[in-house]
Amino acid sequence: MDARNFTYMFYGFTAAWLIVMLYVISLARRGARLKKELEDVKHLVKGERSTPEDLLPNRMR
Amino acid sequence: MRERLSIVLAAIAALLLANNLHAMFLTLPDEAMQGAIYRILFFHAPAAMVGMIGYFVALTLSIMYLSFGDFKYDSLAASVIEVSLVFSLVNIVTGSIWARIIWGIWWTWDYRLTSALVCVLIFSGYIMLRRAIDEPTQRARLSSALCIFGCVDVVIVWKSIEWFRNQHPGPVLDFRTGGGRMDPAMSHVFYMNFLALLLVATALVLIRTRQESTAREIDSLRRVAHAA
Amino acid sequence: MRVLRQALSVAYKDLAIELRTKESLNAAGAFAIAILLLLSFVFDPFSDVVREMSGGLLWLVFAFSGALIFNRGFSRELPNECLDALLASPLSPASLLIGKAGGIFVTLLPVELVSLFVFGIFYNVRWWLHPPELAAIFVLATWGIAIVGAVFGALTVNLRLRELMLPVIIYPLLIPLLIGAIEVTNTLIANHPVTDYEWLWARVLLVFDVVMTALASVLAETILVN
Repeated sequence: MDARNFTYMFYGFTAAWLIVMLYVISLARRGARLKKELEDVKHLVKGERSTPEDLLPNRMR
Repeated sequence: MRERLSIVLAAIAALLLANNLHAMFLTLPDEAMQGAIYRILFFHAPAAMVGMIGYFVALTLSIMYLSFGDFKYDSLAASVIEVSLVFSLVNIVTGSIWARIIWGIWWTWDYRLTSALVCVLIFSGYIMLRRAIDEPTQRARLSSALCIFGCVDVVIVWKSIEWFRNQHPGPVLDFRTGGGRMDPAMSHVFYMNFLALLLVATALVLIRTRQESTAREIDSLRRVAHAA
Repeated sequence: MRVLRQALSVAYKDLAIELRTKESLNAAGAFAIAILLLLSFVFDPFSDVVREMSGGLLWLVFAFSGALIFNRGFSRELPNECLDALLASPLSPASLLIGKAGGIFVTLLPVELVSLFVFGIFYNVRWWLHPPELAAIFVLATWGIAIVGAVFGALTVNLRLRELMLPVIIYPLLIPLLIGAIEVTNTLIANHPVTDYEWLWARVLLVFDVVMTALASVLAETILVN
């Protein structure tokens, strides 16, 4: 009974940590993907800029 | 600034958790009737509390978004709900493992467990709704409305412990019983672990909110690119 | 009063369309009978156990067949931009939402009554022992389903995955209402004495209806305006 008690206690702790760790990993992956996507879109905007800079809206400068 | 804050919070949480784990395993004795397994309580109940607090914080943020129209409230609400869902899942899974030993069953359909599962389902629906809407204003508006409706159900969860006594144990914390049935040393570790989990949740919310802002920035840059 | 009058005219419009086509009524009715038939294979249909869990069986049938009705609530306004016309009309958003809920309520009730009759025949259950109490619970729970169905039907009407999202979002929200309806219906059909426990759930149903209707009225503009 004691050994089973301890085993399930560690299952419980493992489950708690595992769920949080899996979420942290998914956050990290999402962050990396968003960072890359932001870089790509910034390059896209820079590449499509055919007008002189002073004609762009303020927020793009 | 936000990143630095989340790192600081995570560091404090890590230290607290390390201290609490030391206390749990090396200082506190086994519980008289349950043995070693009772230590799951130190994650099970605080995770539930963090989840519940998160849902009500999200309710406030949703109301603020609908009142002021500022997207930062919507980003925060979405982040808070996502993190609260994670902690609610921790609550349910650890409770299930604990129940297997103490009650001999993985699950029971008493009202409190059922309501906790209902909360997870409702706010999973919130996440799914957000993913189904591309337009940011519509997404923020509709998910705020769903959050408000969903939180009404959270109230039923909160009250169910007082309305129905079933297989789930009654309240054992000081602030609920006015006297408490938990040993003071155990309740100290309990509240310290609650604080640690709250700090972890806050750090995760800050990171997630930053990602929401980045996603909105990408969205607006894409609109500029398409308009050009 | 104006809101109520407008809501009644919206409900009347929906009912008029429904009575002309009978699309939702027929579909929901047929679906309900099909589920009752399927359930007969799950357990012994004539055992005493059926009486004890008749509330559960019935309200599951009503909830699932109700989905066919509230799915149609706002989606029937999409062709020919009828929804835009409704929103541009002098109708207040709250009256539109409550009117739609009223239409769903009046459409769902006959389906429930027919299902109740069929259930009594298929499973040899005497459900008419407490008619006023049963009627009250039916009205309370059906209104709860109708108002939540109307709100989330409106919320998801323009989503590309509407048919998938609506049940996923609605059923968890309806669980407290369904639990209450099931508990009281079980007691009434099994002819057990009505205790404080059942009165408590009846009050939960009433509070659920009032709160959801109030929230729907307050958030109607948020949900409906594009």
